[in-house]
Amino acid sequence: MAFGNIPLSLRRRGSLIPSPLTFLGLTVAGSLTLPLLYVSYKALTADLAVWHRLWTTRVPELFLNTISLALGVAVGTLVLGISLAWLLTRYRFVGSTLWGWIVILPLAIPSYVLAYIYTYVMGKGGPVESFWQGMFGPDAFFPSPFSYTGAVLVMTLNTFPFVYLLARAALLNFNLSYEEVARATGVTRVSTFFRVSLPLIRPSLIAGLFLALLYVVSDFGAVSLLRYQTFTYAVYQQMTGRYDHTAAACLSLLLVSFAFLFLIAERWSRQRSRFYQTTGQFRRASPQPCSLLSTFLITGYLILVVGAAFGIPVILLIQWTLSAAAEGDVTLRFLEFVWNSVFLSGTTATLALIVGTPLAYLACRRPTRINLLIIQGAYTGYVLPGPVAALALLVLISQTVPVLYGTALVLILAYLVHFLPAGLQAMESALHQVTPNLEEAARSLGSPIYRTFQKVTLPLVRGGFLSAWILVFVQCMKELPATLLLRPVGFDTLAVRIWLEASEELYQLAAPPALLIIMVTAPVVLLLVGKGRQIT
Amino acid sequence: MPKRYHYIMKKSHSLSINLQPPSLRGEHAPGSHRTLSPPLGLRIIFSLTLAGLLFCFLPHAFAAESLVVYSGRAERLIQPVLDAFHAKTGIHVKMLTGSSTALLNRLQAEGSRTPADVFITNDAGTLERARNLHLLRPMEIPEIKQAIPEAFRAPDNSWVGLSGRIWVVAYNTNLVDPGHITSILDLADPKWKGKIAIPNAGSVYLQSGISVIRAVKGESITEQFLKGLKANAGTFVYGKNRQIVDAVARGEVALGLVNHYYIFRHLAKHHDAPIALHITDQDNGMGLIMNTTGIGVITYTKHLAETKALVQFLVSSEGQKMFANLNKEYPLRPGIPADPALPPRKSFHVANVPLTRLAELRDPTMTAMERIGLR
Repeated sequence: MAFGNIPLSLRRRGSLIPSPLTFLGLTVAGSLTLPLLYVSYKALTADLAVWHRLWTTRVPELFLNTISLALGVAVGTLVLGISLAWLLTRYRFVGSTLWGWIVILPLAIPSYVLAYIYTYVMGKGGPVESFWQGMFGPDAFFPSPFSYTGAVLVMTLNTFPFVYLLARAALLNFNLSYEEVARATGVTRVSTFFRVSLPLIRPSLIAGLFLALLYVVSDFGAVSLLRYQTFTYAVYQQMTGRYDHTAAACLSLLLVSFAFLFLIAERWSRQRSRFYQTTGQFRRASPQPCSLLSTFLITGYLILVVGAAFGIPVILLIQWTLSAAAEGDVTLRFLEFVWNSVFLSGTTATLALIVGTPLAYLACRRPTRINLLIIQGAYTGYVLPGPVAALALLVLISQTVPVLYGTALVLILAYLVHFLPAGLQAMESALHQVTPNLEEAARSLGSPIYRTFQKVTLPLVRGGFLSAWILVFVQCMKELPATLLLRPVGFDTLAVRIWLEASEELYQLAAPPALLIIMVTAPVVLLLVGKGRQIT
Repeated sequence: MPKRYHYIMKKSHSLSINLQPPSLRGEHAPGSHRTLSPPLGLRIIFSLTLAGLLFCFLPHAFAAESLVVYSGRAERLIQPVLDAFHAKTGIHVKMLTGSSTALLNRLQAEGSRTPADVFITNDAGTLERARNLHLLRPMEIPEIKQAIPEAFRAPDNSWVGLSGRIWVVAYNTNLVDPGHITSILDLADPKWKGKIAIPNAGSVYLQSGISVIRAVKGESITEQFLKGLKANAGTFVYGKNRQIVDAVARGEVALGLVNHYYIFRHLAKHHDAPIALHITDQDNGMGLIMNTTGIGVITYTKHLAETKALVQFLVSSEGQKMFANLNKEYPLRPGIPADPALPPRKSFHVANVPLTRLAELRDPTMTAMERIGLR
């Protein structure tokens, strides 16, 4: 039974020699973990004094900060994500379809841009504080964005679409019969939601939360602008402020270890909590029409959330861009930056699919302990702090294949190490939905492996693979720390331009590249929603 | 697990019907074998990716001969000077900007494979560090010795200073009279609790400033100063000098520790901002803390003649004036006047700690800062 879900093609009974696919997949996953191994080596050979110093001065605080940020964002994204998904899949009102698309747009905004906007909007002397103090007197307390609250707010607004997307997909595939049974036996509406609906979509929620939290933990741009000390920010400070990288390596290793535990827990909970419909009828929930009042309330809620996460930032950016343009600061040079960003991200995303396919296949069809461990190792690339991974890669490449050094390829590799996990997650869950029986049937009818994959598997997982591509593309567009460190001379991306201009107080000049990133990324992000529809 | 299988069969069946695109549905009945080439869309994607990967090597193949500058100084503050250099000599210059320390780390990791020819930073300590790592080569350019005083150069001329910046107290003119602050050490006085903004520990200006204080005043006084400063600053610890100046001008804090030009930069934009500069440690004090921007030639450069031309231009009267004034700093070449808005160079004296010592002082300073918990 243990081998029950492995297709015939992959079985090598009694043989210790791995199949070519296993070999290929594990080699790729293994090489992706090289930067991690390098960093671990650095950290583990560090002087005990360094560890002691870090342990007594920094680690407890960073640990507490990172965990509490993650918890705060988890609560925030769950509340926003579930409520939005529920409202937009279960109710029909004016513009509900349109809203279903709009609420995902915050994914197009880089976290550091959102953070910057909020330091302006909520900062001292900013519009919100002035309004607040105008209402409640000049001494009324107003939370500073440079605080735990500020960091949670910005990161929640930036990442809730991850939870929304997966919750929405789950709700669209949801079988209404369960709820009806609960309601028929006298369970209240609220209770049904918490006792039946929520547990059933839990696997999707966890997957969404997983994406959001890994994003939060590995983010450096927003927390550094908000001066909120997390592991990743501390690592970045160590990297840019000090010559000795041992401490940065130690902190990175700690962060990765925590993340690794988290990843194992996530996989464990995913494997334990699959819900299958065994018999009976599948009936999809059809959206209910809303009364005028509820339409009004729901629309108000949507405007509030989307306005805070997307509307206000974009309006401000447009305003700043216009004033920059009026001063002649918007030139054709920006086309070059757009091209650099798009080319890098597109190439990386495609490579991620090519490299990720065998890995996802192994994880789904041959989940032996060793395979899972190595693949899980590749996943940790997501949290290995960008600057540390980048420097490790720089050293590894200039020592082993110096001819690559100084080309954009190094940057692509760094992106791949960092963002493949985001894509892998989507590819794995797509493959999980395809029963091996279909492949086995094709194989038993004489179709070769390649043709089986092309004719049977690929058409079934296209949607999932497309969203993997999009997830990788979007995050590459926004990537900052590795790009700063590894970009070839004279090769700036939009993200780098934002950072360089913003760190020189030239916010007007930072606005055009920020707006361009959003303009390029937003349409791609919207494809994710279209894909969710297709899956159902 | 018979149940599970039962379900998957059903579910997948329905999935396959829903998902299969029309082009793949029914058109190729079993038996009508096509060739085994992948679908067109896939082929296009793969070709594009291949082209993309090849494109990566283009910059290598077609790179025009030009000087490569790694600059810790902001692009905006240096591009005009490089443009003037290009206009004068016809030599193209490409630039990579970033934090001084990050660029030094990159140079070190790149070793002899670095594309860089020249390293420009905002901090003499970083340059001295690069010299100690043998990343810089001594310059044999006679003009340097005449143009720049010895105090602002490496002993072997591996690097040479280009402009000077002083570390001052920025204060809000509405909130405070800084008359009582005669020394920078006064900022540790508990009466400034919650009223002062400081740079974070990653700032080379803070690192170099504290190094100078340690060199002059010794370990225990510095440690006390840092403890007081940390307590007074609280959460007003910033990554950027600009943010400190903003906070002072807005009245969020009364005082801030910054490089002088940030105050003038703010005033250039907001003419009547209530912010001014206060000079400390004069008379019998240790003197102001002065750091320099400087340039060094990378050991592995293949463009020696061009790097020489660039250094010559930057230490010339024309280059000095332009380089310093773009950022309202003090030119280091004697006889070149600083921007009239600045306190005249003759009106203050600076701490007598050689810039070359900044590198060796850095690591113990950082350890002390970390021990005290500055971030």
